[in-house]
Amino acid sequence: MRKGIQSWLDERFGLTGITDFLTKKTVPLHKHTIWYYTGSAILLFFAIQVVTGFMLILYYKPTLEMANASVARIMTDVPLGWIIRSVHSWSASFMITFVFVHLLSIWIAKSYRRPRELTWMSGVLLLLISLLFGFTGYLLPWDDLSFSATKVGTDIPRAIPVVGAWVTRLLRGGDDVTGDTLTRFFGIHVCMLPVFLFLLLAIHIYLVQKQGMSLPLEAEGKQEKVKEIPFWPNFVFREMIVWLLLVGILFSVAIFFPPSLEKAADVMAPAPEGIKPEWYFLFLFQTLKIFPAHVLFISGEMLAVLLMIFAGVLFFFLPFFDNKPTGTKGKIITLLAYVFILYALVMSVWSLL
Amino acid sequence: MIKKRPSFLLAAFLFLLLLSWGGVFYCSAQQGVAQVQTSTPQEKEEPEKIVGDPQDAKQKTGILVFVAWMWISVFVIVYFLRLKIKEADRLYRLRFYSAKKT
Repeated sequence: MRKGIQSWLDERFGLTGITDFLTKKTVPLHKHTIWYYTGSAILLFFAIQVVTGFMLILYYKPTLEMANASVARIMTDVPLGWIIRSVHSWSASFMITFVFVHLLSIWIAKSYRRPRELTWMSGVLLLLISLLFGFTGYLLPWDDLSFSATKVGTDIPRAIPVVGAWVTRLLRGGDDVTGDTLTRFFGIHVCMLPVFLFLLLAIHIYLVQKQGMSLPLEAEGKQEKVKEIPFWPNFVFREMIVWLLLVGILFSVAIFFPPSLEKAADVMAPAPEGIKPEWYFLFLFQTLKIFPAHVLFISGEMLAVLLMIFAGVLFFFLPFFDNKPTGTKGKIITLLAYVFILYALVMSVWSLL
Repeated sequence: MIKKRPSFLLAAFLFLLLLSWGGVFYCSAQQGVAQVQTSTPQEKEEPEKIVGDPQDAKQKTGILVFVAWMWISVFVIVYFLRLKIKEADRLYRLRFYSAKKT
């Protein structure tokens, strides 16, 4: 019976090619193998996001009058609604954490070097999309905190010369954060970003399969062959253990620390005190805060935003700045990775004090 | 001939069984609370902050049971997966997979 179904599907989809590829594909086994699990962990959390997102969308109403009330209904009336919302919210944080860890591990291991430049660039774009998911999703409950944080967040691009005001209007769907912004953010969150993410993810995974798993620098320099295991079933079984533990941790955190919901945002009310963005934007938020009002003849905010964009562009094109042959260490660029981690941690903690 | 053990299927079955028990237990606890809530309809003012976690003892117990079942299920499957990994690594060392291809 099972073989019959298998051969029926194989005749139509050509599954043998895929299974052959999976059994031939190997994964290097060394002391840094643990970092290989971060990629699949991101996929796991993204899948959880999709499933819980589908569930939430059945009850969520993206209008000014109903957004907050529909989230309140999900949390109080819908059976297990609060857990689903909590899992959706926490898995977003877990996913972004793992995207950062994945990128930083690649940065430190210098796995972005030739021929993996495009893999790195698609990964950076995936980080950007993940952050945009977080930014657009934060407004959807339409409570005081999310409304004010979005107001501040969408005001930041205004500091960019020439196009800044236009970008802010484009994001808000007008001059202020209104019901139009909410509808726009909802559309971006559930339609546009998933399409871009799936496309980039397909490219990223294809490139990873095409180029194979990278080796750490010290292993690449060695003469003897690095030990390898087959992807299927040896590595997949190991990954399954990691997934199970992560799912357990995610559900436990989501159940014991569910996100709360403030009362519906009042568009006319003054901004509440202590507005904070999501944790992954805290270091950028604090960077903007510490800049003085004016630096020489330009505004401090404009300088800060321009510096952030410049840093982002450098980060995106990193493989082209550090294109030394494999084995030689660009120590300064590795040092920069550690400086970035330290900077992000210190700034995030500072913003919470 | 190497005989395949049905441990993975058993683990998956156990996981689903344990998870569904936890789910059923929790849902029944939720339903009980919903019935109590609908039987006493009262006008309430809009609260300043809504917290999603369960407020009464029955719901809290349901949650704790669910989390306990979940972790037991996770550790049971991890145990079986570790056996599967050992077996897969042994077969790889014996070149079982490459022999199968030819």
